[in-house]
Amino acid sequence: MPPLKPKLDGAPMKDTPTSFALPVVSDAAAAPAQDVVGEALDHASSRSVADEGAYGKTYWRSLEEKLGTAEYLEVTKPEFPEGADLPPTGVARREFMQLLGASMALAGATACSTRPVDERLVPFTRTPPELTPGNPLHYASGMTFGGSTSGLLITAREGRPIKVEGNPQHPVNQGAASQFEQSFLMSLYDPQRARVLRNGKSPKAVRTFGEEMAIISDRATQENGGARIRFLTEPNTSPVLAHLRERIQERLPQARFHTYASVSQDPASEATRALFGQPASAMYDLSKADIILSLDADFLESRPANLGNARAFARRRDPAEGKLNRLYMCEPRLSVTGGMADHRLRVKSQEVLSIASAVAARIGGNLAEVAAAGARKAPLSSEFQKWVDVVASDLRENAGRCVVIAGERQPAAVHALAAALNAELGAVGNTVRYVPATVTETTDASALRSLVDELMAGQVDTLVITAWNPVYRTPVDLGLEKALSAENPHRSKLTVIYTSLFEDETSQHADWFVPAAHEMEAWGDGRAEDGTVSIIQPLTQPIFNGVPASELLAYFLHEPFRTSYQILRDFWRGRAEVADFDTAWETWVSMGIVPEASAQSLTEGPNVQAARAVVDAYTPAATGELEVNFVPSYAVFDGQFANITWLQELADPISKIVWDNAAYISPATAKRLGLEAGDVAVLTYRDRTLEVPVWPLPGTTDDVVVLPLGYGRQGLHEVVARDVGFNANLVRTAKAPWFEGGATLTKTKKTHKFALTQSHWRMEGRPLAMDMSVADFHEHTGEGAKLYRVRGELPNVLPDFEYDGYKWAMAIDLARCTGCSACVIACQAENNIPVVGKEQVLRGREMHWLRLDRYFSGDEMGDVEMVVQPVMCVHCEKAPCEYVCPVNATVHSDEGLNDMVYNRCVGTRYCANNCPYKVRRFNYLHYTADKSPTEKMLMNPDVTVRARGVMEKCTYCVQRIERVRIDARVQKRPIYEKELQSACQQTCPTEAISFGTLSDPNAQVTKDHNDERSYMLLHELGTRPRTAHMVRLRNPNPALVPPKPAEAHEGGH
Amino acid sequence: MAYVRSPFVTFQNHPVEQPIEFDHRHHAGDEQIDCRYCHTSVEDAPSAGIPSTTICMSCHAQVWNQSPYLTAVREAYYTDQPIPWVRVHNLPDFVYFNHSIHVAKGVGCATCHGRVDEMGALEQYAPLTMQWCLDCHRDPKPFLRPQEFITSMTWQPPEDPQEAAALADTLAEQYDVHSRTSCTTCHR
Repeated sequence: MPPLKPKLDGAPMKDTPTSFALPVVSDAAAAPAQDVVGEALDHASSRSVADEGAYGKTYWRSLEEKLGTAEYLEVTKPEFPEGADLPPTGVARREFMQLLGASMALAGATACSTRPVDERLVPFTRTPPELTPGNPLHYASGMTFGGSTSGLLITAREGRPIKVEGNPQHPVNQGAASQFEQSFLMSLYDPQRARVLRNGKSPKAVRTFGEEMAIISDRATQENGGARIRFLTEPNTSPVLAHLRERIQERLPQARFHTYASVSQDPASEATRALFGQPASAMYDLSKADIILSLDADFLESRPANLGNARAFARRRDPAEGKLNRLYMCEPRLSVTGGMADHRLRVKSQEVLSIASAVAARIGGNLAEVAAAGARKAPLSSEFQKWVDVVASDLRENAGRCVVIAGERQPAAVHALAAALNAELGAVGNTVRYVPATVTETTDASALRSLVDELMAGQVDTLVITAWNPVYRTPVDLGLEKALSAENPHRSKLTVIYTSLFEDETSQHADWFVPAAHEMEAWGDGRAEDGTVSIIQPLTQPIFNGVPASELLAYFLHEPFRTSYQILRDFWRGRAEVADFDTAWETWVSMGIVPEASAQSLTEGPNVQAARAVVDAYTPAATGELEVNFVPSYAVFDGQFANITWLQELADPISKIVWDNAAYISPATAKRLGLEAGDVAVLTYRDRTLEVPVWPLPGTTDDVVVLPLGYGRQGLHEVVARDVGFNANLVRTAKAPWFEGGATLTKTKKTHKFALTQSHWRMEGRPLAMDMSVADFHEHTGEGAKLYRVRGELPNVLPDFEYDGYKWAMAIDLARCTGCSACVIACQAENNIPVVGKEQVLRGREMHWLRLDRYFSGDEMGDVEMVVQPVMCVHCEKAPCEYVCPVNATVHSDEGLNDMVYNRCVGTRYCANNCPYKVRRFNYLHYTADKSPTEKMLMNPDVTVRARGVMEKCTYCVQRIERVRIDARVQKRPIYEKELQSACQQTCPTEAISFGTLSDPNAQVTKDHNDERSYMLLHELGTRPRTAHMVRLRNPNPALVPPKPAEAHEGGH
Repeated sequence: MAYVRSPFVTFQNHPVEQPIEFDHRHHAGDEQIDCRYCHTSVEDAPSAGIPSTTICMSCHAQVWNQSPYLTAVREAYYTDQPIPWVRVHNLPDFVYFNHSIHVAKGVGCATCHGRVDEMGALEQYAPLTMQWCLDCHRDPKPFLRPQEFITSMTWQPPEDPQEAAALADTLAEQYDVHSRTSCTTCHR
């Protein structure tokens, strides 16, 4: 009988899992038990000598390759074989002929081996009924971070999740997903994830761990009710975890839970507690708001409600949807929201209170007292008076149709004033409603102070940390690291239990380390900001032996083991008030949402008088010198996503820096301090110093230094994140977590090289990203006006194509695009786009098919306006690339697509040189080589993984077009507009991108192409793009002097 | 060029040894089992589907359930280990072939896979070169057949060329068949 086991001589078998039904990773599963122990020991020993561990060493190697470090690749992978570059003379000539002979022989071998000798087809033993191999499945799920849970829809192919999109039925997401949710998928497959549950240096079984925890909790129950047990968790949004926590508290009434989040909603909670009697979240309905005043609130980008806010806000920026709204913004740094503002005031963070009080004073009425209290704390600078007056009168004229939003970085006093203003302006109930907060406990660093004191005093025996990496992300003055290290005299009595996806900064101090299950590996639930409960459904078995959070907590109950699924289901069975639970449960899981209640609005309005007490209680932050500002990074948030290469290579929406953070200062401040871009300066703040590379960024307030969090990671095995940027937490204090004056920057002789995807920021007077006020727009639509340059027919001698079917096209509305970058990650995930690393970006070799160009206009030393323009292949009707390709690798399709044929491409790069839009990307190196088996599972099987030497570019997601077309044609019907979305369009929170066929006059894309705002990028070249851009309109208040026209400053800087 | 298109390189007409001696002559020929009984997803997925072991066992739990030939099948079923069939038809990774659309448009199994009912060990019948694909994609009409004969191994177009052409025209009209030669039809 032939052997049943597959022969392992054929290369493809190596990575094929033994069964598709159970996608267990071959390298983890195949390793014998001894190896696991050895690995763990190696890894534990490498804790002492961090850069020389055997476990770590192999990863360094793969990191170098992953990041494509130029030196490494050039040394190990020479471009030509040895001798190929020798001149054909004498002996060398013979050598050359030998090589030629060898290559002929190899060519023959290649022809023979075009088919793999032994490629296997491995079917299911029992095919799951819902699965058809080759067709994708979509599962509703969720992801919790930053104190709220997003509803997601995850695409799986043959059991592997490959793409994350927003759940269209979720009221906050509405189909959109931010860059964080989408790229969180990458960490599921990250080969650097922790795999070994360990106690000290010795690997342990999960069961041993469970028994140990049962012993600890049993003893505590008998002795002191858990008085010496502490838990440190993330802000909890999950009903099932809350229930587990209650049950642990019943068993261990003296145990205490602490919560920590680096971006905390505490100031808002503190204010609403005073004004409403309970912590509340403000839910904004921006679709009804004509006037918005943002007090340092980056409400289009900051968690938790950004996706819903962005969608509602963007609809009001489109004149086709009605009257434009108007956004007033005061903030210390140019944020994504600030880039969308009609009037932006550059202030220091501590001046925001003075703006809020002055506006309140102008509004008057019930606000007089609280305004006066605010003015006492922060008197208004006279230069802002005019702006405040105009804003206040605009708000008053639009009472009931306006809203004031306070940012999470601002103190409770500003939140109280914002709530009071909303009440006085009649916004409450119209444009804003207050709902009970999802997270009610304090979550900022001051809440941990008592915990650290107890640790230092030896009052804690057991500390269970389920919060992500508190040692790294707590402010330095809290001293948590010291309390967990040998410096603490009572450390030997303390047992620290830590669970995380990675062995990171905190795991160095853990006695028990438990590899956590990824959210796509375990069952759970969670609430969004508005109270909507999502069921978090796993897409796969734990790949790296992770333990789900609910199972971990359940060990402290000492009850029979239940899986995370049983825990969740039992909880909802006990809680749901439905007759037929099983049917209801199936519905909830498939929808991803428990139709329970989204939170009821608070019926009582804010107590304006109570606001005064909050303002009175405020202690102004120190002033003087430079004001230091901490902000979460747009790419890696607070560092939680730092090991995700997609995010590291995602350009900051404003500065366009990748693989780094920088201390942003205004150009004027840079000039004053004699600092230039890339200079390293010593930041002195309080009694701490930190070396930071500076980057002058237009739009930053003068005398402010902005430090993004989330970089400078030192985790043992998070090698992607390691040593990228600087760690701003090292100067951040619990007392002033967001901003404070009194910092200085001193230039050093060192410099730092930044990699930027766009270093030039002016349009030099060319009509690229069109941006004008409503009044200007109506002036310019006529012939001979500014817009004429981007409109109308141009003579063209090249033959026309004829189309009798679909005519695919796209339209991008610059009025809606905020630059949030979710589309960039969506494109990268959908199209298997590689990450190239900082070195390659420095050489201009980034591979993103979709880039966001960001332009500034105005006075770069002072106030600037920003416009963002997404650019990908525009699929020209007369495509310059097509005419120059010598091998027909880029050709016109019968539906107007500019097809790119990878297998024909020989890499001349003529097409990229001839492309005026610079959207073609060349694989200079084999970026996809050496992927680990788990990383390969991330690839979209519908898209070719490109090899070295091949050109690539946006395809309009042709794989989606073809799949939908085939489905439609099998069913004998046309393609419906709603079923076909490009990846960027699908995820766009602001609906800025429309895609479809111009052959359908009712399609949104046809309407957009015919819109009076639509124009063609580089129209004068006669390329006739299929992608139209739409002019961004601003809605400035005539009462404020508009910024000087951009033309005055165009032409060099 | 003649060399690279020779059956030696394209690997045509070369019976492939499989881990289990499955005989299409018996199943598709003698027993007249429809192709779709085992290749279940051919009408609605890119892949026709290699049958899972449960499909083998749906018959062989009853018939030939003691046969030593089928020990490996039973072993695979009861140990829940997949049978590692050797791939016979293998396209390059940059080619995306979709079975469902071809079947829906009236391209029969035998057109590309040949008389499977006469193959003991399965072999590749067509060259699977791009030239061969394009022969049909440029002019699909001669290769169409009525839907009711889609899995038939013996169906032949009418012998009279005019009758055959008339049938081809009718089928192309009825199934809305077009020539599709844009690169992205197959390469993505």
